[in-house]
Amino acid sequence: MEKVIYVNETDAQRKPLLPSASSSVMSGLRLTAGVPLKDRDDSVLASAAGAPVKHTSRPIVTGSSVIAMRCKDGVVMATDTLASYGSLARFRQISRLYKATDHCVIGGGGDMSDFFELCETVRKETTLEYCYDDGHMITASAIHQMLARIMYNRRNKMDPYWNYMLVAGWQHGKPVLGYVDLVGSHFVSEVIATGYGEYLGLPLLRKAYREDITVEEGKKVLQQILTVLFYRDARTIDRIQIACVTEKGVEISEPTKLETEWSYKAFISGARASDVSTW
Amino acid sequence: MSILQPNASVRGLPNADPRVASSGFKLGEHHDPYDPLDVAHPAAPLSRHFHPYEDNGGTVLSVSGGDYTIVASDTRLGSGYSVPTRYVSRVIKLTDKAVLASSGMHTDIAILHKVLRIRLTQYRHRHRKEMSLEAISQLLSTILYYRRFQPYYTFNVLGGIDENGQGWSYGYDAIGSHEKVRAVCSGSGQYLLQPVLDNQVEFRQMAADPTRKELQLEPCVELVKDAFTSTCERDIYTGDLVEICRITAKGVEMEKFELRAD
Amino acid sequence: MASIGTGYDLSSTIFSPDGRVFQIEYATKAVENSGTCMGIRCKDGVLLAVEKTIISKMLVPGSLRRAHIVDKHASLVVCGLISDGRVIVDRAREECENYLDFYGRPIPGAILADRLAHFVHLYTLHWSVRPFGCAILLGVHNGEKQGAQLYMIEPSGVSYRYFACAYGKGKQAARTELEKLSLNDKQASPQISCEQAVKDLAKIVVSVHDDSKDKEYEIEMIWVRDGKPAAMVPRDVVQKVHDEAKREAEADSDMEDE
Repeated sequence: MEKVIYVNETDAQRKPLLPSASSSVMSGLRLTAGVPLKDRDDSVLASAAGAPVKHTSRPIVTGSSVIAMRCKDGVVMATDTLASYGSLARFRQISRLYKATDHCVIGGGGDMSDFFELCETVRKETTLEYCYDDGHMITASAIHQMLARIMYNRRNKMDPYWNYMLVAGWQHGKPVLGYVDLVGSHFVSEVIATGYGEYLGLPLLRKAYREDITVEEGKKVLQQILTVLFYRDARTIDRIQIACVTEKGVEISEPTKLETEWSYKAFISGARASDVSTW
Repeated sequence: MSILQPNASVRGLPNADPRVASSGFKLGEHHDPYDPLDVAHPAAPLSRHFHPYEDNGGTVLSVSGGDYTIVASDTRLGSGYSVPTRYVSRVIKLTDKAVLASSGMHTDIAILHKVLRIRLTQYRHRHRKEMSLEAISQLLSTILYYRRFQPYYTFNVLGGIDENGQGWSYGYDAIGSHEKVRAVCSGSGQYLLQPVLDNQVEFRQMAADPTRKELQLEPCVELVKDAFTSTCERDIYTGDLVEICRITAKGVEMEKFELRAD
Repeated sequence: MASIGTGYDLSSTIFSPDGRVFQIEYATKAVENSGTCMGIRCKDGVLLAVEKTIISKMLVPGSLRRAHIVDKHASLVVCGLISDGRVIVDRAREECENYLDFYGRPIPGAILADRLAHFVHLYTLHWSVRPFGCAILLGVHNGEKQGAQLYMIEPSGVSYRYFACAYGKGKQAARTELEKLSLNDKQASPQISCEQAVKDLAKIVVSVHDDSKDKEYEIEMIWVRDGKPAAMVPRDVVQKVHDEAKREAEADSDMEDE
C-alpha cells in the first residue's frame, strides 16, 4: 500500500527506533486510518521495532484551500472548517487557523495531522520564547522561514509534511504574508491562495487587490472568494473562519456560515453552463 | 481528483498512476483512486510516489563584454499552469564583482543561494578578501556536484569580472558541469534565448567584418531587454519582471524592467 | 565542618555511621548562604520572591536572574547556586513541554514538583555527580479547579507543598514572619491577594536583610495569577513596594530609637 523505505539496516538491527514522539511513529499511527486492518499492526509495530519505516506518501485527512491578502493595515486570511477523509466530509468543525504569536497566524491545508504536528512545533518554539522573557518574540517572517526549513528538510528525507501553509503577521509596523509548501517552496506576496483557491481564488484576489485596501475590505473579499470556492470545490464546507492580523494583534473569527445562493440558472438542473456564469 | 495532490497530471507532470491516465467511467466499476476509504481494489494497489522536485521555471542569462557583464533573471514563479506569485528574486549579488542567477526549483534555489552566501562569508573571514570570480565558479560547481545523487534542481548562470577586469560568464547544469563563455542563458526560456545571444552577442553565422566592434554595455542591456521581451511571448514560465544587473569596475547596479504579466 | 565528615563526606554514595549523607548536607549549606527566597499561595494565584545579592555594581540591573518562567502556567525561583538552578530550569521546561505533548494539557503542579524532585534526587545517588547546590521554589497555577500551588524542592530531592515557605539566609526569620500573615481561613483557603502579598513579601525581605552585614540586593518577584500566564512582577511595581517597605522599616527603627 504505502511506499516502503528501509532505514539503514545495520543501524536498524543495532539500534531499534524507540517509540518516542518521533514523526516516523506518528505517521505510522496516522497511516493506519486508510489501510486494511491486517496491515495496521504491521505499520505501527514495524516502525517501532526498527524494521521498515513508512513515509507519508499521500495525505489522509485533508483540508482544502487557504486564501489570504496583505492589506494596508494588516493581513487577512481565511479557510473553511472542513477536514475531509477522501471524499467524505469527515470533520466539519476543524480550525485550520493557528494563532502562533500575538502577531502571527498560520493557515494550513493538506494533511491535517501533519498540520497540527507543525503547529505543535511552532508552539514549542513560541513557549520557549515566552519563558526566556527577554522582551523578544519570534516574528512572523522568522516563523515562515523556520517552517520552510522544516518542510525542505523533510522533503529531502522523502518524508514530507504534506501541507500548504500561509503565514500572516504584523512586524516592525508592516504586514507580512508568506507561503510554504510540502517541498519547501516559500515566498512572500501580497495575495496568496493554496489548493483550488490557487485556480479559482487567486485571479479574484489579484483583481480585488489594491495597495491601499483595508483589512475590513479584505475580509469581505475573502468571504466572497470562499463562497465561490464552496460552489465549485467539492472538498469545501459553507462554514468559514477569517483571521485578521493587525498592529493590535490577532483576531480569529468564530466559525460563521456562508450565505449561499443556489437559484443561479447554471445551478438549476438542465441549464447549460454557458447560459450564465455562476460568479 | 483532489487538488491536494501537487503532482497530479493537472500540473503537467507525468502521472505515476496508470489508472488515472486511463480514467473514464465504467458503470459499476468507478472508484476514486485518491479516496483513502476505497480499499476495494487490492489487485491494483495505489502507489503514487512523493515527487520531491517541482519546476518553477524562470529564465536567466549572463552576457559579458570586455569590461562588463550583465546578469539577468525574470521574477515569475510558475507552478504547473499557475503563477503563484509574480515577484521572487532569483539573482544574488555574491561579491562586488560576481552575480549569480538561478532558475529551476525555487526552494532549491533559495537553499543554494544560502549555502553560497555562507561559504563566501566564511572565505571573507578566513582570507580577508573577496573570493575571485574564478574561485566562485569552481566553488559553485563543487557545491552542485556534492549533491550529485539528489541534485539541487537549479540551472545557474554566473557572471562577473575577473581579477584582470575582464568580464566573463559561466553556464552550469544542475550537477556542476560548467563552461566559461561570453554569453549564456538557462532555464525555461533557454531555447528561445540562446540563439539570439549566439547571433547578436557572439556574432555567429555573421560575415566577418573587420570594422565590427564588441557590443558595449548600454546597447547590450537593450539587447537583453529585447531578448526577454521576446522570450516571454512564447514561454509561459517567463514574465512579469526582469531584474538586470550591470557588473562593472564600479560595482553592481540593478535595474528592473517590466515584462508581460499574463 | 571538615572535622565532622571525617572521610564520610567525600561522596554522596556513602552514609556516615550515624546514617547521614554529608554531601547533601553540604549542598544544603550552599542554599542557606543564598539570599532569602520566599513563596506564598494567594487567593488569586501564587507569588515567589527572591532577595538577589548584587555581586558587582558593574552588572546591568536585573542580571543573573533567579526567577524563571518554565511554562505559561509555571514559574520557579532558584535559591542557592544560580548555575545549578539553570540546569533544573531547563529540565522543568522540558518536563512541561513533554507533558503537554503527551497528555495535551498543562502539567499539574504536583507532577512537575514530583518529576523535578526525582531529577534532583538522582543527583544524590551516584558517585560521578554532586548534589545540586540549590533549592527550588515552584509556583504553578492549574486553572480554577486545582488553583495555585506552591512547592519547594530541596537538594536532597524532597519536595513538599506549602501555603507559604522560605529558604536561604533569612529563612528562620522569614518563616516566622510568613506565619504571622493570616494565610488561610478555617477551610485552608488562602486569604491574601497577590497584590497584597507583593507588599508583604517585600516587607519581609527588608526585615530579614541585615544592612550592616549583607551586601546590596535587589528583589525579583514572579507570579502566576488567575487566568494570566506566568510573569515577572513588573520591576517598577517591585521597586515601589520595596521603597515603601524600606521607608516603613526606617520609620519604625526611628521610633524605637526615640
